[in-house]
Amino acid sequence: MGKIIGEPKKAFITGNEAVAWACLVSGAEIMFGYPITPQNEVMHYWTRLAPKYDRRFLQTEDELSAGFTTCGAVQSGVKAFTATAGPGNVLMQEPFGMAEAMRLPLVAMIQQRGGPSSGTVIYSQQEVTLTTFGGNGEGHRIVYSTSGHQEIYDYLIKAFNVAWKYRFPVFVLGDGYQAKMREPLEMYDPEDHGIELVKPYPLIGLGGKIGEEREPSHLCNIYSMEEELYDVVMKMAAEYEAITPQLMEWEEEFCEDADILIVSHGVVARAAYDAVKALRSQGIKAAYFRPISLRPFPAQQLRDAIAKSGAKKMLVAESAYGQFERLLKQEIYGETIKIEHLFMPGVGIIDYDVIEKVKSIL
Amino acid sequence: MSLLRIVLAGEGGQGVQSIAEILAEAAYNENKQALYIPNFGLEQRGGVSIAFIQFSDQRIGAPKFNKGDVVIALSERAIPRTAHYSGPETLFVYDASIQVDEDLLPKQAKKIIPIAALDTANNKLHPRVFNVIIMGAVIGLTGAVSFESAKTALEHKLAAKFEKDPSLRDLNFEALELGRYMAEESLKEGAEANA
Repeated sequence: MGKIIGEPKKAFITGNEAVAWACLVSGAEIMFGYPITPQNEVMHYWTRLAPKYDRRFLQTEDELSAGFTTCGAVQSGVKAFTATAGPGNVLMQEPFGMAEAMRLPLVAMIQQRGGPSSGTVIYSQQEVTLTTFGGNGEGHRIVYSTSGHQEIYDYLIKAFNVAWKYRFPVFVLGDGYQAKMREPLEMYDPEDHGIELVKPYPLIGLGGKIGEEREPSHLCNIYSMEEELYDVVMKMAAEYEAITPQLMEWEEEFCEDADILIVSHGVVARAAYDAVKALRSQGIKAAYFRPISLRPFPAQQLRDAIAKSGAKKMLVAESAYGQFERLLKQEIYGETIKIEHLFMPGVGIIDYDVIEKVKSIL
Repeated sequence: MSLLRIVLAGEGGQGVQSIAEILAEAAYNENKQALYIPNFGLEQRGGVSIAFIQFSDQRIGAPKFNKGDVVIALSERAIPRTAHYSGPETLFVYDASIQVDEDLLPKQAKKIIPIAALDTANNKLHPRVFNVIIMGAVIGLTGAVSFESAKTALEHKLAAKFEKDPSLRDLNFEALELGRYMAEESLKEGAEANA
């Protein structure tokens, strides 16, 4: 088959459409999904694109099934993904836990929506805790929090590669704004950009005689002995921790010299960045730090930013009531910088909000 | 161009989201930065439909904003729903057919402008081009995009309909032109009054 995207092309599309294109160019063979706002259009666009490129789609009876069928597909050696939001994300934590346990290269797009609720469909950043540590496990998963369409595209390509390289489930964390808004992005063929696509491979049904020609493929999701589970989790933790240096992603600016460090993630970081620039132009020494990977969290990089900036205060801004701040605090335990916050659960944050907050606390 | 922020609000079916999308696409085709987002909560099913659009030469930050440069309310209940997006520098526009409760109009605005879009659509053109008159008005008030690229974007969006019935093309372009004219005139009126 020819290339899906030849020359890089600019497009003015919704984030959900960007998800479908990114999964297509990443070589995803199939999407399993169940409708939920605000990710519905991921399914709509995928089902429009899939037949043209010999890809497939299965609408399952619910999110549990969408998650488990994705778990099944990847075991057979097929790049597969799902997308969900809100209570769908809650339901999918069971299959996501299985993906953690069995080290499955599952990719999921999460478009956060407001809570607590089963029916609130509006924007929020309230699925941080759920997406990073939502399972009945230890959070051995990789989570990228994007801030716009270009990153949705770039990080989904990365998500498939990281999932199939390291065999941990990977989540791209967007939100209702990113899902629904239209803005420009550049779409490209990953291999033309020097990104080698990791080839999928079957995890079960392998050839060769077990014990002689190959090791058995144990994809276990049930342990009945405490000691056995202990060994498995400790091994998983060690493997996860060993790869974290390669997985950490973050952005920072003006961190060389600052009075206040503004930390945010996802779409809110756009407002935080504008706020930092505006504050700087008014003579206030603000700095910008944004973790892109929330799991693993770029903790050392944030500690370094605190140290080199000399900032005495940190402002954490998020469209949630402290989910991101909790994650951050545990990661930088021991730092003495004073942490202030701007929590606006379910509400979009604009540069004005951040600027006003900074002025009120400096 | 520096950052330009527009809020369009009306009832479902008035075509607010369609013209927001066309305007944003026209700006994008002019190599400007553009960002358009609809409100997508349950209120959109039977509530006021709101579109937020931003244009700029530079990268656009947050998808939403506190105050618009232009805020257009096309139904009675869209007025109180959008009044808080109006600040001292805002042109607040509403359709002249609305029986306005003065208390609900924004307390702050650079200018409050009634435009007879609905009346013009119903009596001079066709009810279906009401939203295109508003699109023309946005261009007349802001110069957000050139008239030509607005026409191109309209053509692109409505290609199938224009092909079926070519007279629709003239109707839409006339609506666009009339909207722009009415908006430009409304701005002049203020200037004269001030003089």
